[in-house]
Amino acid sequence: MDTDVKQEDREDGRDRGRNRGGNSRKRRYEADDDDNQGRRGPPPTQRRRNDEPPRRRYEEPPVSKIRRLLLNIASSTNLPQDEATYLAQYLSEHYDDEDARAQFFNLLPSLLIEQPFKIPFAAAVAFYANDVKPDITAEAIKCVGAHAQDALNTGEWREFKLLLRFLACLQSLYQDDGIFGFLRQLFEETVVDLQSAKENDVIGIELVKIILLTIPYALVSGGSRFHGQAKDLLGNTQIVAENMVPIEGLIATYATDSEDKSFAYHSVIGLLQQQLMNEANAGWRFACIPRFDANVLKNVNDEESLPNAPPTYTFPTFVVPSPVNPGAKPIFPEAFFSLFADTESETVPRKADIACSLLRDAIVDTIDQLDFNREAAAKFLIDIDCYWSLETFAKRSIAFDKFRDDPVNKGLFKSEDMIVDGIFSLLFKLPNPDHKLVYYHSLITQCCKQAPAAIAPSLGRAIRFIYKHIDIMDLELANRFLDWFSHHLSNFEFRWRWTEWTEYLSMSDLEPHKAFILSALDKEIRLSFAKRIRSTVPNDYHYIVPESLEEGNDPEFKYADSSTPFAAEGQTLLTQFRKKAPDEEIQATIDKIHGQAAEQGIADVLVPSTDVFMTVICRVGSKSLSHFLSCIERGKNRLISIAQSSDAARRQILTSVVEYWKDHPGTGVNIVNKLLNYGILGPMTVIQWVLGDQLGNGTILAKGWVYEMVATTVVKVTKRNRQIASTRLQKGLPQDQVKTVDTALAEGRDSAREMFKYINDALAGVTQGAVDGLQTDPTLSQEDGELIRAWGKRWQTVFLRMAQVEESVIGVDAVETRLKILAVEDEVASQPKHDGNGVEAVANGGAIMA
Amino acid sequence: MPPVRSISTVDRLDKPSSYASSKKRRRRGDRDRDDDRREPSPDSEEKLKDATTLYVGNLSFYTTEEQIHELFSKCGEIKRLVMGLDRFQKTPCGFCFVEYYTHQDALDCMKYIGGTKLDERIIRTDLDEGFAEGRQYGRGKSGGQVRDEYRTEYDPGRGGYGRAINDDYYDERDYH
Repeated sequence: MDTDVKQEDREDGRDRGRNRGGNSRKRRYEADDDDNQGRRGPPPTQRRRNDEPPRRRYEEPPVSKIRRLLLNIASSTNLPQDEATYLAQYLSEHYDDEDARAQFFNLLPSLLIEQPFKIPFAAAVAFYANDVKPDITAEAIKCVGAHAQDALNTGEWREFKLLLRFLACLQSLYQDDGIFGFLRQLFEETVVDLQSAKENDVIGIELVKIILLTIPYALVSGGSRFHGQAKDLLGNTQIVAENMVPIEGLIATYATDSEDKSFAYHSVIGLLQQQLMNEANAGWRFACIPRFDANVLKNVNDEESLPNAPPTYTFPTFVVPSPVNPGAKPIFPEAFFSLFADTESETVPRKADIACSLLRDAIVDTIDQLDFNREAAAKFLIDIDCYWSLETFAKRSIAFDKFRDDPVNKGLFKSEDMIVDGIFSLLFKLPNPDHKLVYYHSLITQCCKQAPAAIAPSLGRAIRFIYKHIDIMDLELANRFLDWFSHHLSNFEFRWRWTEWTEYLSMSDLEPHKAFILSALDKEIRLSFAKRIRSTVPNDYHYIVPESLEEGNDPEFKYADSSTPFAAEGQTLLTQFRKKAPDEEIQATIDKIHGQAAEQGIADVLVPSTDVFMTVICRVGSKSLSHFLSCIERGKNRLISIAQSSDAARRQILTSVVEYWKDHPGTGVNIVNKLLNYGILGPMTVIQWVLGDQLGNGTILAKGWVYEMVATTVVKVTKRNRQIASTRLQKGLPQDQVKTVDTALAEGRDSAREMFKYINDALAGVTQGAVDGLQTDPTLSQEDGELIRAWGKRWQTVFLRMAQVEESVIGVDAVETRLKILAVEDEVASQPKHDGNGVEAVANGGAIMA
Repeated sequence: MPPVRSISTVDRLDKPSSYASSKKRRRRGDRDRDDDRREPSPDSEEKLKDATTLYVGNLSFYTTEEQIHELFSKCGEIKRLVMGLDRFQKTPCGFCFVEYYTHQDALDCMKYIGGTKLDERIIRTDLDEGFAEGRQYGRGKSGGQVRDEYRTEYDPGRGGYGRAINDDYYDERDYH
């Protein structure tokens, strides 16, 4: 492990960004504060030697020293400029050492991609090297350029952007227009082509974003002689950046008809364009990007035999593949989200400020690129002030009111707010962030562990902000927040100041803030147990977590009550099932129910018998999930035949499960999910049961578990379809399988469309007030009626979006476009390469699942 | 061919723990000089390269399957969950196996859930070559996990005190 991910509680470590440079040069590379050990590594006695700071009289081998210096650049109290010059010189002295050289050029691209904060510093090393050993600079440009070309070929847009950023930071070393020539070409040829070829093209948007995010770094390095070119480029990108594509209407964080302007939708790219135009008017300052003195090494080595003028370079030539490879992950326009931007205290950059996008972009890339080590990701985030210019951030972990009230902090940002803002922007990214949501949960937990005093207060303000506006938040996001909140608290002793929210308890359960509390406590109980959760909330909340929920209280078995119809048969069947009685005996009991039901005039006698059978399974299996599953295994054949013979009985299976587990809806949802896996129920049955049978006047739409049941069912369908699509897009899928897969895909696509249509129609009924009882139910107040319609609207948006997203991934056009690209690649791959040995195809993998 | 993924600048949390290889290494008495280049023995690496199962340790004896399911399903759908049981009493003894449908889900679980809390205890996860009948039982003399026999500190979630000290961790994994 090469990063210091120790508990960041040392007072001296708090403020490294702003106090650096004070150390004498002599101490510099012996200082042992750049401890390289990770927490996950072996205990101290077993630490490995290579990455530890050198001990006295032990000369660190160049290979490991180069690794250490490069990876830790700008991370200590030293001036980054000194570190960059030192590394450049050290590298030049050991350039003949093949291993040392290879180490540097192997690590460099990884560093740029995995630790984007360090790009300007890594570029500074290459820049200074040009004064002492130009070979290094030339090789760095070549090597990064080659990797960038690879990323371009495979549609790895983020990697392409980051590698390009490194090249942009060396703009002053290029001949002619340098990177601007390429950016212009990228826009005029590729973006314009893409946009004119396809309405609502999204790859062009992605490319414009890359262009816009590259300009600032190129200008900081290149200086004022490129201002004109940057401005011309901006003039071109404007039309793309300010255009809205249809799906953007469905990816807003907050309901767009909300009156408050601060919740208005902004696309990332539109904002970026505006910020750059503002910056152009302000004279292209880019104050947050770190600067380096270009002449350090020139001055130091003046008398030595340096060449008079260091060499300049032609900017690498890039070939944009045609057609452009969209990459493995589906691309969507991005909404900008911030909790703190444009609030009075200005703890984060205003939305009009380019720093807003520059910092956010680097933060989210750091987060998403380092998902494989959340400890390292958290450390880099907490150390963010090390990686930007000195006048960017206020002192670390400064209290909010102190920050706000002290004029010293004017124009500075609060790093903790920026970190929290950045993580939440990903947690709330629509349609989906790059990684599973739980990554962002664990990253927040990690940040809290590593810098508790700093992060916790910012997080508290974030929670309050989100909660306050939960009623207008997109419902999928509100549910992500719910899931995060309960999971987060489970990592911190369930500590939350519930008293702040007591006022909501008196409201209707349909009120979104109240509904959040109900669902949050239920989720907490699922991760813990009722008695524990009860002890963490004030008395006012105890009625939500009644003692009856506590452990040891099995859910009620309704047939134990002799007044329940079919009670005797229910108890008989319970005994039989427990004893694993032969099927004939069970059938006899069921026949008995059928006989009685027929006498009572019940139309579908399978309904009461299914209720008995399924409730018995729930009862016998109530001890644990494994018990339930083994009961299901035993009852599976009977359940499948029930499900096939009667619609009503099939849905009764669901009713029985949910009713039995009504006090533990999470278990019910979970069981329904397993029934889907067993093929006992189909997805459409679940959807119809919820939005048909159970919808009633729409009250259930306010319940968290109901949303969960529908959403997990829908995701199960879409996931399967995506799997089929990615099988279809596999390289070299045998011709005889193509037809089978195509058929499966077409069927999957049709049933998904049917499902989404059903959902949308049912919800439209609610929003238009057409469902039963919404207008006629006398017990329903007008306010509650309004609340139900609002829920319906929020539900509708979520599933409309999901439907459109699926169309854009597995729709006929989408798959055909990708098949075309695959065909082109095959063609390229089958042609012999210049060097003769070339079956080295550009692997796209065809996987459209992230 | 992700172009630049040859080396990482920081360790990955989804590598198998040094459980198997560390034992061998301790016996050999020397440590590899560079952790980054240390590879688990080809055998174990081969066994784990498609692993979908995780060993989960340091659970409370009172943690239920439902709780485990609630947390671990955040990384993907769970195919099977096997609670670790006391060999004699057949009660939970503080570990379990979680099996996912895909290798990627298991890796994500290593990265995102290992080292976080469940039931207010930091749990540990490790890639596992797959559950086999018999491995659900503790291997300690008393029937529970070996680590609980010799623990000196009081742990209310794991049956109170142990007896003596032994640094051998979760040996039951050797039980095939």
